[in-house]
Amino acid sequence: MTTECKIGVYVCSCGTNIGKMVDCDAVTGYTKNLPGVAVCKSYKYMCSNPGQEMIVKDIQRYGLDRVVVAACSPRMHEPTFRAAISHGGLNPYYLEMANIREQCSWVHDDHQQATDKAKALTCAAVKRVPFHEPFDMQSVPMNSASLVIGGGVAGLTAALELADANQPVYLVEKDGKLGGNLARIDLTSPYLDSAKDLLAERICRVTKNPKITVMLNSEVESISGYVGNFKAQIKSNGEAVTDIEIGSIIVCTGFREFDASKVGEYGYGRFPNVVTSFDLEKMLKEGRVVMKDGKTPKYVTIINCVGSRSGKYNRYCSRVCCMTALKYANGIKSAAPDAFITNLYTDMNAFGKGCEDFYRRSAERDTIFMMFDKHAPPTVSAAGKGEHFNMLVKVNEILSGEEVEIPADMVVLMVGMEAREDSMNVARLVNISRDKDGWFIESHPKLDPVATSTDGVFIAGACASPKDIPDTVAQARATTARILAKICQGEIWVEPVYAEINEDLCSGCRVCNELCPYSAIDYDPVKKRSAIISVMCKSCGGCVAGCPSGAIKARHFTDKQIFEQIEGVLEWASSRA
Amino acid sequence: MDKKKLQIALYWGAACGGCDVSVLDTNEFILDIAAACDIHMWPIAHDGKYKDIEALEDGFLDLAMYNGAVRNSENEHIAHLLRKKSKVMVAYGSCAHIGGIPGLANTFTREEIFESAYLKNPSIQEGNKTVPQPQTEVDGGELTIPAFYKRVYKLDDVVDVDYYIPGCPPAPEQCKAVLSLIVSGQPLPPKGSVVGASERALCEDCQRKKDEKMIKQFFRPWQIIQDPEKCLLEQGIVCAGSATRSGCGVRCPDSNMPCRGCYGPMPNVVDQGAKIISSVSSIIDSQDPEEIDKILSGIHDITGYAYRFGMAGSLLQRSVR
Ligand SMILES: Cc1cc2nc3c(=O)[nH]c(=O)nc-3n(C[C@H](O)[C@H](O)[C@H](O)COP(=O)(O)OP(=O)(O)OC[C@H]3O[C@@H](n4cnc5c(N)ncnc54)[C@H](O)[C@@H]3O)c2cc1C
Ligand code: SF4
Ligand code: SF4
Ligand code: SF4
Ligand code: SF4
Ligand code: SF4
Ligand code: SF4
Repeated sequence: MTTECKIGVYVCSCGTNIGKMVDCDAVTGYTKNLPGVAVCKSYKYMCSNPGQEMIVKDIQRYGLDRVVVAACSPRMHEPTFRAAISHGGLNPYYLEMANIREQCSWVHDDHQQATDKAKALTCAAVKRVPFHEPFDMQSVPMNSASLVIGGGVAGLTAALELADANQPVYLVEKDGKLGGNLARIDLTSPYLDSAKDLLAERICRVTKNPKITVMLNSEVESISGYVGNFKAQIKSNGEAVTDIEIGSIIVCTGFREFDASKVGEYGYGRFPNVVTSFDLEKMLKEGRVVMKDGKTPKYVTIINCVGSRSGKYNRYCSRVCCMTALKYANGIKSAAPDAFITNLYTDMNAFGKGCEDFYRRSAERDTIFMMFDKHAPPTVSAAGKGEHFNMLVKVNEILSGEEVEIPADMVVLMVGMEAREDSMNVARLVNISRDKDGWFIESHPKLDPVATSTDGVFIAGACASPKDIPDTVAQARATTARILAKICQGEIWVEPVYAEINEDLCSGCRVCNELCPYSAIDYDPVKKRSAIISVMCKSCGGCVAGCPSGAIKARHFTDKQIFEQIEGVLEWASSRA
Repeated sequence: MDKKKLQIALYWGAACGGCDVSVLDTNEFILDIAAACDIHMWPIAHDGKYKDIEALEDGFLDLAMYNGAVRNSENEHIAHLLRKKSKVMVAYGSCAHIGGIPGLANTFTREEIFESAYLKNPSIQEGNKTVPQPQTEVDGGELTIPAFYKRVYKLDDVVDVDYYIPGCPPAPEQCKAVLSLIVSGQPLPPKGSVVGASERALCEDCQRKKDEKMIKQFFRPWQIIQDPEKCLLEQGIVCAGSATRSGCGVRCPDSNMPCRGCYGPMPNVVDQGAKIISSVSSIIDSQDPEEIDKILSGIHDITGYAYRFGMAGSLLQRSVR
């Protein structure tokens, strides 16, 4: 097969990115004599227009039927060069890339060795590419209905956005009412607008919208299918089950608050006037900040980072509590103008829009800010008999270096955000992953923040990580943009690179059945064979390695191709000897 | 000698004798073979000498069936001789096919083997320093014995092989079927075929009920009372059936013992042992590294389980300490 192929090889210097460490001319000189190579060139920027055009022209001029590009990681430019060779008339899968940037020039500091390795990798690609098979993209129909799980501000926003675009939505909320955690909040930082106003308008529009089916007291029982074609069962009020068909799923299940009683030294549950931020929100909503005995507090201490940024509890920052604490300082001042407010913080995280101004304004009113070391948190104890306040907060103030005792009638604990207790079940249900803290993992933290590893399943809001309202809303809207784009296309194009089971070799042993991280493998009890739902397969290769019968083949990553690649490296090694 | 009859020879290399017995185990069929064939050599049943074979014309034999692995220079010498003298060369049994049980010796070096066999063994007289040498000078000349190779080879490592009949030993019915085919003069399958075995794994023919496999603990067969209806692997008993060609008639699982893999790898598989290991690791029901270690500690001698028959033919091939 090798000798019949006409391979074009293109070695890129990537400006100086590759060229400064790898001798690209030497790589070209070596490669052009390999069997099957019809033309081999090097160029400064292969991915540029002239670079791509060079490949397109050569395909025609030399009658190339395979192309190797020795350049950056295929994660970077494989799509670029696939498109280019497709433009030149070749099947896009007749391309192979040798990564001589990330795997050579960027990680080595010896010119000779980096150049040698580049030759070896290029030779491996040349050996492999004749065994590439042509593939066509496949498409599946797209159901335009969506399932939104969770009716907090994220879920409400996403549902509205889709319904406003005339697409059907099922909004499943496990609670008896909509609104989520925002419904427990009074004013919102940093502009102090009312949460109730924000929510009431959305809830009203959601419940009135004929495109949205709201299902309260409901939970998703099961989900099957794949992008564009999911089926779900919704259980309402503990019994009634509804079957729905949807094309996309948005997970908006939000967060729960950290349990403050875990931090013994703060006395939550022991001292009646140690309250959490949510307890205080409740008071603020009712318009009166009072102690258990009904009296107005004179000394209020707010402690930040409760359960957050700690070696003992959650290591991460909960992001909203610093600004929420400032909001409380304002709120308490309004409800109890004579109160002395102290805010104990570890770092003041005021990164959001308008937040730094909010901090400055709050600091100008008479809140006293004291900083503590997150590894040496303050303690709360009962005040001595006869004192005119009821608790004493002790803190090592690190800016002054002094140990300070603060009188307190009320202590407010800024509890952090945590993944919900059932997040594991939700993750299993929709087949996405969680990080070590239980937050759902996005497809790419920077470039693809609302998609997940499962096509057609999106995440928005505080279920992915602690977030304030603006970020939550932005994410909710982002998910709908992704979904609407797919609905517009009407069908979904899926990569033709997936694993497939050869029925003639499968013994029905079922070793592979629980192996797929994307639940793409089905077992047919009648035929006694397993089969892969190709649109769900991400070609991770797990089942390919796992199948003891060798009945599973990964398209584009066949044993033959991989062995040829290894041969290529060895061939280069023996050419040196 | 009736030239219309089939001219055949059977031979054992590094073998236990089981393969030769399996041919006898075809019972009265053996008489049909005797009637249809001239047997020139068959260590267990017929007294053929090397010189008789050497005297034959090249290509004279219609069929040579070689069982056993290639462990020493004599094994290799006879393999070459039989290859030269016969039209069709068959690797008979696991040892010839993939190295078999003798191949497990490849996990040790020759020096280690000699040390434990001749120098440091409770049954060896203390202080013994004698190990076999290919040549020894004695009064009146030089004695030679076959040289013990550094590693065990499967048959096709040393000669060109036409067909493989797997099994340790091959099931007599399969042996019978293959011999009948050859005697019948019907067209033979393509060269290189594995004959007398299925293209699917043993699980296909195993009647035990198969379900999703999630293993929390591995057992050796004697450590649990097994459910006779249920797949052994699902019960935590390492069964190689899913990585092994069917053909034996499900001998082991039907006798409540796990398959050990003697029928060799599936057609697409390069390394049967690697497949056995990956199938076992695919079904462990834990994400926690410590728990996984604990679960795996229930498997004693994973190399022995995975490469019981296939070491010599595997990608690993041998220890190079
Ligand atoms: C004390 C406090 C004060 C805050 N103050 C502010 C502020 O002033 N300004 C600001 O910008 N942000 C503030 N935040 C952050 C704000 O609360 C969040 O950004 C916002 O609530 C996130 O919305 P969400 O929809 O993602 O999640 P949530 O509000 O948690 O909503 C999730 C919804 O999903 C439902 N649900 C959960 N699991 C399931 C399931 N399995 N099936 C069905 N339904 C399910 C829940 O019942 C809930 O209704 C504050 C947070 C806290 C803790
Ligand atoms: S936002 Fe502020 S209070 Fe909340 S965890 Fe982060 S640093 Fe601590
Ligand atoms: S592991 Fe392989 S042989 Fe077993 S059921 Fe899956 S595909 Fe079939
Ligand atoms: S290759 Fe990976 S994603 Fe595809 S079916 Fe196999 S295990 Fe699942
Ligand atoms: S294959 Fe088994 S029976 Fe045959 S010689 Fe080898 S060990 Fe003995
Ligand atoms: S693994 Fe073993 S016991 Fe289970 S079905 Fe396969 S052959 Fe039978
Ligand atoms: S069950 Fe397995 S080990 Fe037992 S005879 Fe059959 S193939 Fe060989």
